[in-house]
Amino acid sequence: MSDPELKIPEGWEERAVKDWEWATLWEAVEEGDHGYAHERVKEAIDVGIDPRVILDDGLFPGFNVQGERFSEQIIFIPEMLITARAMKAGLALIRPLLAANDEKPLGTFIMGTVLGDMHDIGQSIVTIMLENAGFEVINLGTDVHPDRFIEAAAEHNADMIGFSALLSTTVYYQKVTIDEFVKAGHRDKVHILIGGAPTTQEWADECGADGWGGDAMLAVNLARKLITEKRAAWA
Amino acid sequence: MADTIQLQIIDETGASSTLTAIRGETILEAAHRSGVEIIATCGMRGRCRSCRCRIVQGVVPPATVSDTVQLGHEEIRERFRLACQTKLLDDTVIKPMPPKSESGHQLLAGHVETSALDIYSGVEKVHIEAKAPVSEHHQTSDIEEIFMTLGVSLKSNEVPLQLLQDLPIKLREKKGDLTVTMFRGKIVDIEVGDTTEQIYGMAIDIGTTSIVGSLLNLKTGEELSSVGMLNPQSPFGADLMSRIAYAQFKPKNLAQLRGKILSGLNQLVGQAVEKADVSAANIYKVVLVGNTCMHHILLGIDVSYLGLAPYAPAVRDGQTIAASELPLKSVPRAHICTLPILAGFVGADALACVLATRIYESDTVRGLVDIGTNGEMVLGSKDHLIACSAPAGPAFEGAQIRHGMRGAVGAIERVHIGEDVICKTIGDDPAVGICGSGLIEACARMSDANVLNKMGSIKATPGLPKEIFNRIRKSDHGQEFVLVWSNDGGKSEDIALTQGDVRQLQLAKAAIFSGVMMLMKEMNVKPSEMDELLLCGGFGNYVDIESAVRIRLLPEMDVNRITYAGNAALMGAQMATLSDAEIDRADELVGKIEHVALAARPDFQEIFIDGMNFDTPSVREITGVEEATAL
Repeated sequence: MSDPELKIPEGWEERAVKDWEWATLWEAVEEGDHGYAHERVKEAIDVGIDPRVILDDGLFPGFNVQGERFSEQIIFIPEMLITARAMKAGLALIRPLLAANDEKPLGTFIMGTVLGDMHDIGQSIVTIMLENAGFEVINLGTDVHPDRFIEAAAEHNADMIGFSALLSTTVYYQKVTIDEFVKAGHRDKVHILIGGAPTTQEWADECGADGWGGDAMLAVNLARKLITEKRAAWA
Repeated sequence: MADTIQLQIIDETGASSTLTAIRGETILEAAHRSGVEIIATCGMRGRCRSCRCRIVQGVVPPATVSDTVQLGHEEIRERFRLACQTKLLDDTVIKPMPPKSESGHQLLAGHVETSALDIYSGVEKVHIEAKAPVSEHHQTSDIEEIFMTLGVSLKSNEVPLQLLQDLPIKLREKKGDLTVTMFRGKIVDIEVGDTTEQIYGMAIDIGTTSIVGSLLNLKTGEELSSVGMLNPQSPFGADLMSRIAYAQFKPKNLAQLRGKILSGLNQLVGQAVEKADVSAANIYKVVLVGNTCMHHILLGIDVSYLGLAPYAPAVRDGQTIAASELPLKSVPRAHICTLPILAGFVGADALACVLATRIYESDTVRGLVDIGTNGEMVLGSKDHLIACSAPAGPAFEGAQIRHGMRGAVGAIERVHIGEDVICKTIGDDPAVGICGSGLIEACARMSDANVLNKMGSIKATPGLPKEIFNRIRKSDHGQEFVLVWSNDGGKSEDIALTQGDVRQLQLAKAAIFSGVMMLMKEMNVKPSEMDELLLCGGFGNYVDIESAVRIRLLPEMDVNRITYAGNAALMGAQMATLSDAEIDRADELVGKIEHVALAARPDFQEIFIDGMNFDTPSVREITGVEEATAL
């Protein structure tokens, strides 16, 4: 296991504007300097760089390397959060442009902590990372009743749902909530992921989830994989 | 039933027991069902290594994901598995091999200063010369004669039936020479002869990890013996959340946990009276304190909803119950008094700490912190008291730490880093692992030595002494720092602190830190303005205060103002045993202490996240409003 390195996107030089310096933006995201990230993204937009290119070549490299480090515990929650915040500052400028270019979100994801559980940090990190990865995320907060999840899934025509539980006493409600989706006849319409410190792959299988987000990065990668498979199956 | 198989378990002494298991159930399920105890610190969730066992004979079941994560490929090849995850396929012989010693850890006693106490326990013994009824014409009864001699107006149905059953014999045995014991105005014992000197009580603190007790003379306040044991519920999970999860919506499991604690208490009483050479029948009052979960389980109250927000307890008031009703068989004549509970996670133990430290009568703001798997803290003065709980998890107990162990012989408890690393273990034995206080000190010294950065990353920075530099290495578990080389210690493997261990500690200490900081914020005091911070409870008293402040387990403040308070919960229980006035005071205090629910506070998350770092400034959270902006 070694310290992940910044992966420079292939072919970025062809896409880049002459003399345009991406490295400072990569570092701004990596180091979590949200003020500078915001500033550099604004400059990039002003010189007319395609928003998709700004996202892929400018924002993702710094974000992804930190995500890998977080997965390997080389960095921790506070550092991951400041990177996520910097990423979000840049993304806020780009998102309207992507929408104007008719770029759709990767998918719609409902996120929340299950009934009886007030823990917020884990699901906030996953939310922000999913948003950064291109999902539209509807965050229902903490202590969410199964009915509320089902309502939101129907209302937003969600592709995927994430149930967070941080207590060994509340993982029980991950199963209860999934059972309620089955009863409501909504189970087949969505992919359900579970996560949180007391959870395991075995528990995910046992409670009938489609996958286990062992950490925030795993959750995002899994969501990406499942949505890609789903889109491919539809195509 | 063809689907049963034989499971043979060989213990550390080499003795083996064979039991019948159902094909497909886990080793742990089979063992627990047959009463063989295998410790499962994480509550059988595959999250720790405590139930590690080796498949000695039979089919080696495939490793699960949890096996791989917890044990690594090498141990899996050597036929190690987690008992909680491994499903039995066929006749199997196993040997439980918990990674570290799980027993024989330090127990902290407390002793109360009786001079400041108004000793009136509610128990009174009166030596009387009663007369047996003499006139057939003038009908009376044995018990009425006793009432008359005592000069009390009681009814015979207020006397326990048991005492009436052999009363005729007792009354006449020494011609009415009797000692009557009263508890809060009711007769609870009648003995032949003068036994007024044999008047005892017991104070017991039921912790999630350990139980400590103190046998007291109710007349003099003298402590006759002090005893302790591991909580016998430990095999069902180290922290109270896993204990609740085990009993949640499973009445049979609740009954099982209850049975464990009741027999544990009987055993504890037995030890105490044996040590003091007195009779348990002369124990008349037992004060029990403990967290809400322990309290509920003891009383057999369902705990299902205690683990779910808003974590409401079923009862809060203190209870007084006849021991025979509980039933606590070892003390047949006693009444059991529980102190009131403040909230789902601020239990009677916290209230006992308040009693013991008397912060309710302080002019200046003082605080008390019980650092444990469930941290409890109370802050305030005679004007106002507030309390909260902070779930730190079991890292301080050494659980879910790669080489972690409880504070037993051979545990690293002190760490010094200069040109090289020097570790001191409990009992100065060869090192076998690291306990919570050692973990805190190791991280503090590693921070000082630039091995850990302020974010908690283990990094080999240039300029480190060679011996230190060589201890930083990469392994299957990420970066790690070797504390004791295998050839220096008693172990066949190096004892190292992994990056994951540091992360566990960061989460645990951030919980305690942010709890204390939130209370200070609520009280509008800065750490520098705190008059005193008292460390209560087993763990707090072994923590090196300077290290705790260095890693910001405790806020940055003058270390001279942070003091050890011993086992304050037990001391509070002792006070309540000796003095009924303290029980009244506890009932009064519970209505006055304001409970702060941290999770519901919008600013908590920021403080918690900041609290994960090793150099969090303490002043900023108090004053820096702009820092508290959300993501």
